Amino acid sequence: MSDKRNIMFEIARGLIAITIAIAVAFLLIFASSDDPASALQCLLIRPVWTSGALNTKSILTILGRTTPMIFTGLAVCVMFSANQFNLGGEGAVMAGGFVAALVGIYVPMSAGLHVVASVLIGTITGGLIMIIPAVLKVKLKASEMVSSLMLNYVVMYIVLHFLNMNFADRSKGATQTFPMESTSLIGKMVTGTELTWGFPVAIIATILVAIFMYRTRWGYTIRMIGINESFSKYSGMKVGAVLVISQVIGGALSGMGGAIEVLGRYETFRWQGLPGYGWTGLTVAILAKNNPILVPFAALFIAYLDRGCELMSIYAGVPAEMIDIIQAVIFLFFAAEQFMAKTKHKMVVKGAKEEMKQIELAKEGGDL
Amino acid sequence: MFETIMSMVLTSSFGFAILRITTPILFAALAAVVAEKAGVCNIGLEGIMMISSLFGVLFAYWTNSWLVGVIAAVVVGTLVAMIIAIFALKLKTDIILAGIAINLVGGGGTTFALYMFTGLKGNTAGLTTPQMLTPRINIPLIQDIPVIGEIFSGHSILTYVAFILVAVVWVMLYKTSLGLRIRAVGENSHAADSVGVSVLKTQYIALALSGALSGLGGAYMSMYYSQSWNTGIVAGRGFIALAAQAMGQGEPIGAMFASLFFGFATALSTKLEGMQGFSSYLVASIPYAVTILGLVLYAISTMKRVKKHRAKTEAK
Repeated sequence: MSDKRNIMFEIARGLIAITIAIAVAFLLIFASSDDPASALQCLLIRPVWTSGALNTKSILTILGRTTPMIFTGLAVCVMFSANQFNLGGEGAVMAGGFVAALVGIYVPMSAGLHVVASVLIGTITGGLIMIIPAVLKVKLKASEMVSSLMLNYVVMYIVLHFLNMNFADRSKGATQTFPMESTSLIGKMVTGTELTWGFPVAIIATILVAIFMYRTRWGYTIRMIGINESFSKYSGMKVGAVLVISQVIGGALSGMGGAIEVLGRYETFRWQGLPGYGWTGLTVAILAKNNPILVPFAALFIAYLDRGCELMSIYAGVPAEMIDIIQAVIFLFFAAEQFMAKTKHKMVVKGAKEEMKQIELAKEGGDL
Repeated sequence: MFETIMSMVLTSSFGFAILRITTPILFAALAAVVAEKAGVCNIGLEGIMMISSLFGVLFAYWTNSWLVGVIAAVVVGTLVAMIIAIFALKLKTDIILAGIAINLVGGGGTTFALYMFTGLKGNTAGLTTPQMLTPRINIPLIQDIPVIGEIFSGHSILTYVAFILVAVVWVMLYKTSLGLRIRAVGENSHAADSVGVSVLKTQYIALALSGALSGLGGAYMSMYYSQSWNTGIVAGRGFIALAAQAMGQGEPIGAMFASLFFGFATALSTKLEGMQGFSSYLVASIPYAVTILGLVLYAISTMKRVKKHRAKTEAK
């Protein structure tokens, strides 16, 4: 089968997976809502189109909400490309956000420098955390999946400890830090929306990660190891070092996402638990088939659905948690290699037959 | 300080707490053992426990019977595991991703399902009646022995089921033809295939058993431990069970000791929480930190064993 046809088939398969997910959503809405029509309208149309007009504010908010998902999606892309099932993105996001907020509150700096320094320190924090599961994997062959999952909880409790015991602003009802210095905050691109200057940074990060993965030696090594670790080892690649680096990059990207989210959307640090972006990043990376360039589009899709589910819970009383079911269905079908394999098989056979016919025709033409 | 802790640990109520806390982890760890023995990694344990704990409590409520609830939890656990199996084995979704998808459903989908079926949001605390909770069993004779009776008697019936299942799973794995097939498939699926063992069928069975076992864990959580269902009910126990499986070297008895170890760490952390001078947050992270430590120790011991083995073969 030709490459072009293969791509077309992949796209069609992806669309069918998404259609199935939306169909499941429809079923759930019909089962749980008194007014399915308005619930559906909230899910699909209202995020962009409200009372007869294009809702620019909502669209920009959706765009803004892709920011942390892009970062965690990129993180998962890098780590999964090296076949490292590191699920510590959650912890790295939370720690990165928390440390960035602390720098924003307690380390006064000049206007331009402060925000950059805060984000960078958050980024470094995320990267440092991932050294633990990465080194355990490389040096001791301990499953990075289990250790990173456990690490998420450890990081969460450590952050909560410092938040509650050392840095809480007791004058406020809810547990939160003192406000961050205005010099450390990431400004809004459009006032009144959730779209901050973090979004262009996320797009730049996407381009950089894409260049890194497809145009540098390190990126090539990461992808090679993901495809065949033993081959890479015996052809002289430094497998251990690259595995550590891929996870540290993943952690750094997650930490950066957390930092930008906290500095962009809040005035104080107030997360009381793991924020969930690590898991969303996983869905995003799977939708993007581990291709960094596709990550922003996948994030946009999830952010759109997320917003739709939110509106649906506000206006139609359908719980917003439906997004998790939709995500899971997409997840399962998108990652299913054998999904529609029979159709693909038929297509291959058909393509081959056509080719044979053409060859035969050409032969007959030659004979005449 | 040390003495106060020791005096807390050396009480019969502490021993009782360890068994109480170990039970759900043990169920899930056994589930992980069975799946892993067949060469499939069931990371969806967390989600299966969430889903089965919810449906267990719902069925118990609808029928006002804990037994129906437990059976429903087991059935639902098995069904959810079959979803993982169909996607992972038939449609070739990476099994880790299939498991994570189930965990996603377990996280938010359960809240949605609860609302859909009952209109409740977030927890079922208002539904609980005494008939819905699994009964406590007082073991005759043993309950009269001082200390031992206080530790081992008076647990939920499911706690005893969990520890009996350790033996049952061991017998199943090592003394039955099904167990032989499961181990053969996990050890070398090509070899098993070449002698006529259906690899897929065996893995389906292993995942189903794994789902049923974690379903029991879910039932214990909502119909005894927390006395109702809530969104944070499982709280990483499915993941801890994976670690227990790894630390227990993939064996049922090893997994039991690893689970008891986590039970001990958690019991200790809940005791320390109430004490002055201990941050409840840091203390709450102990079981998870201990898990990482356990993984490290296990990995080091394995590496040493491999090295020794190599040194021996080289000497020959």
